Amino acid sequence: MSAEFTVVGKSLKRVDGVARATGRITYGVDMKLPGMLHAKIVRSEQPHARVVRIDYAPALRLPGVKAVVTGADDPGGLFGSRMSDQPMMAHEKVRYIGEPIAAVAAVDEETAEEALGLISVEYEPLPAVFDPCEAMQPGAPIIHERMHEYKYWEGWCNPRPGTNIINALVLRKGDVERGFAEAAVVVENTYRTHAIQHVSMEPHACVVQAETDGRVTVWSCTQAPYLLRGSLAAALRIPASKVRVIATAVGGGYGGKVRLKLEGPAALLSMKTGRPVKMVYTRTEEFIGAVTRHPSVIRMTTGARRDGTLLACRAEVILDTGAYCEAGEVVLWEVVQATPGPYVVPNVWVDGYCVYTNRVSAGPCRGFGWPQVTWASEGQMDALARELKMDPLEIRLKNAFEEGSISASGEVLHSVGFKECLQRVAEAVDWHKRERRPGRGIGLIGFTKMSMPQTASAAFVKLNEDGRIGLMTSAVDLGQGISTALAQIAAEEIGVTLEAVEVAAADTDTTPFDSGAISSRQTFHVGNAVKRAAGDLKQQVLAAAATMLEARPEDLEIRQGRVSVRGVPDKSVTLAQVGTATQIRLGQPILGRGAHLEEDIVMPDMATGQSPKPAPYWKYAAQAVEVEVDSETGKVVVQKMVSAHDCGRAINPLSIEGQVQGGAVMGLGFALMEEMIFDEGRVVNPNLMDYRVPTSTDFPDVEAVIVEAPHRDGPFGAKGVGETSTIGAAAAVRSAIADAVGVTINELPITCEKVLDAIEARTKEQKLPG
Amino acid sequence: MKYPVTLGVNGESFELLVEAHKPLLHVLRDDLNLTGARRGCESGYCGACTVLLDRQPVHSCSVLAVAAVGKEITTIEGLAVNRQLHPLQEAFVADGAIQCGYCSPGFILTAKALLDGEPQPDSSTVREWLKGNICRCTGYAKIVSAVLNAAGKVRAGEGR
Repeated sequence: MSAEFTVVGKSLKRVDGVARATGRITYGVDMKLPGMLHAKIVRSEQPHARVVRIDYAPALRLPGVKAVVTGADDPGGLFGSRMSDQPMMAHEKVRYIGEPIAAVAAVDEETAEEALGLISVEYEPLPAVFDPCEAMQPGAPIIHERMHEYKYWEGWCNPRPGTNIINALVLRKGDVERGFAEAAVVVENTYRTHAIQHVSMEPHACVVQAETDGRVTVWSCTQAPYLLRGSLAAALRIPASKVRVIATAVGGGYGGKVRLKLEGPAALLSMKTGRPVKMVYTRTEEFIGAVTRHPSVIRMTTGARRDGTLLACRAEVILDTGAYCEAGEVVLWEVVQATPGPYVVPNVWVDGYCVYTNRVSAGPCRGFGWPQVTWASEGQMDALARELKMDPLEIRLKNAFEEGSISASGEVLHSVGFKECLQRVAEAVDWHKRERRPGRGIGLIGFTKMSMPQTASAAFVKLNEDGRIGLMTSAVDLGQGISTALAQIAAEEIGVTLEAVEVAAADTDTTPFDSGAISSRQTFHVGNAVKRAAGDLKQQVLAAAATMLEARPEDLEIRQGRVSVRGVPDKSVTLAQVGTATQIRLGQPILGRGAHLEEDIVMPDMATGQSPKPAPYWKYAAQAVEVEVDSETGKVVVQKMVSAHDCGRAINPLSIEGQVQGGAVMGLGFALMEEMIFDEGRVVNPNLMDYRVPTSTDFPDVEAVIVEAPHRDGPFGAKGVGETSTIGAAAAVRSAIADAVGVTINELPITCEKVLDAIEARTKEQKLPG
Repeated sequence: MKYPVTLGVNGESFELLVEAHKPLLHVLRDDLNLTGARRGCESGYCGACTVLLDRQPVHSCSVLAVAAVGKEITTIEGLAVNRQLHPLQEAFVADGAIQCGYCSPGFILTAKALLDGEPQPDSSTVREWLKGNICRCTGYAKIVSAVLNAAGKVRAGEGR
């Protein structure tokens, strides 16, 4: 790593490592307050129905039950990301099996659970729709009759009231028909992806205390304290600052803990009882009442010249967002920007639809739509390579984005380490000299992801009287190591060691605004805010030290916590002396402030999707997977996986490796193991016995490769990496299977049955005469 | 109906009144405030609630508290002695085996039971032992290497 840095770029131990290793850290499920009640939710048994009557009188008679709330207690504010479409509790109707209808608070969890059985709900069933393609058809049951009243952010949403299409977006470039006409080969395929659950080991959990002065205090294992505050305030119809969100430690999020969930019913119960109310989801509720990854149907047609040069891509992207958006409108917005993948394509036509159905909502899930479009776009690259008899790596390198490439939206791309990612994974699997063995194959694919625009971060950095640094942001450490990365950035900028920095937990009453742990954005955005705040602090320190040392600020430097005159190390003061003087003697405490917002974002034109700068930055990656396929059983065993990621600059390589490895295995689970199975909108496998996630014996160690193409706007050049890590695994596995046994699966997940069916179908085809 | 029981946890003795159907996990968390045993799936699949019962790993959500009477219960809170981390804890921190940390106590305790009986395991033995614990963050690579590194340190006498 770079010798120019002393703290940044080093694999330092996480600042919260010992607290986590000893179990002495408080997660949402661990919160306890005196007098606390425990709450449970009555959930809809119907996928789409009017709620005619709720009878909870018998529940109130159960000893220990303190209150029941229903939609009638809900002030009725709607919340959402860029599209506000969701109430905290169902009002006149329910839109999915699992939707909250009522909630009960009791002295303990068992009593609350028992009370659920004493609440009866009378429904008037409505026709339901479970398939996004059917939901788009004229005449389909309408799930949101009042779509025309919903509030949304301009530039993000194009709803179609009177249909189930909550967002319809396009990308247009060049002339696709002419591109196809000039193409030597054109491939057309339909790709399908399925719903998975995040399976955070810690379920959703919160404690809510309605205060006597009308404020509401929330302890939650949220990924985004300020987004939670905004959503809860909107839902309760109170000013945002009347809500205080205190972030607990988070036992895994992966996008599942971004939006308002159980905090809403808990708040209503606390307001009704005046007591703190705790709620924790069961594992079953995680499956039926949280969010999933968006299932998708993607039709894609791609044309290329004989030499592999891409000429045109036409795609229709349909995302099934379930009953509510839960940021599905943003998922669509992102993926429409680069549906063809990280390749130069002169002619592009994308139609994207985010569609309601009567199932549990899909929401942010590590990768945010990009695993779905990558499943399609990389399938097309493989199909073209087959048709053209080209090497799959060669066709990718031939078309790959590089510094200065022009994207389909018209952006001149910067910080593009894509080709290096491809080359590095190729080297790691010895691509050009790989052995051909029956039943074994290697897949090698590439992909990209943006970090979403219009998010903001702020940071305060203070100098304590002992010379130590206090770092205050509302970043959330889900395990990705952001607390450590931010402390490294602050330490580097100021000139102190990592140990000299204390990182405060997010609390919306005291730590400044942040859009949260979403979109792999914290290292970039919060990192920038921290860097600026630390720089501001440094200037103030130098000014104060200059007075103390009778020197000029520009002649001073800070090293290892000591301010000295450059070249005269004896003439110095410690940061503790500066801190004590400014804080206690002079009454001029030093507080550095910093913020970050991408100011040059241009929201894409709604008619064409064109924009010279739609995103703060793009991340690039490549993955290679080696598999062994048993032709008798269809079983796919992953033998090796390499994952290379352009992270701009690695602030903490150890943490980045961890992200890359963990995300890759989550991606392999998505490819080969995990699937939420629905029957008429009901999840039939809502537990960890019937829904299997990867364990230590399922996949080999993932080899992480770090590529650095520094970004001019990133803190020390850094970009995020957390979400990207998950994206390509499924596509890489498919390519490897095709390489091994010559069959291609375009519908996820890849099960033994599908592999066997495909092998049998191909065998039959080969036996046909002619 | 509550029964008086005495539970031996981390070398201390606790006299408690517990209901016959109450899982050990709930008694540890609710009555003894030992929240390092985590609530994950409460059905014996995820391993987040792992504790040691007479030095063997068990899913404490699936063990009745009354069944733990007379046994030596070890939770993650009992692993560090005199604020000195166990070599497994040291290795988990140093090797990046901890991300969100929710599953970490379960992994560390399971690994401790392994190393207590098998001080020199190979990586496939480690993987086999750990398959009852789910980690959604790390992809397991750094956990396995941390256990192997800790085993080396224990053998070299750098810890217990």
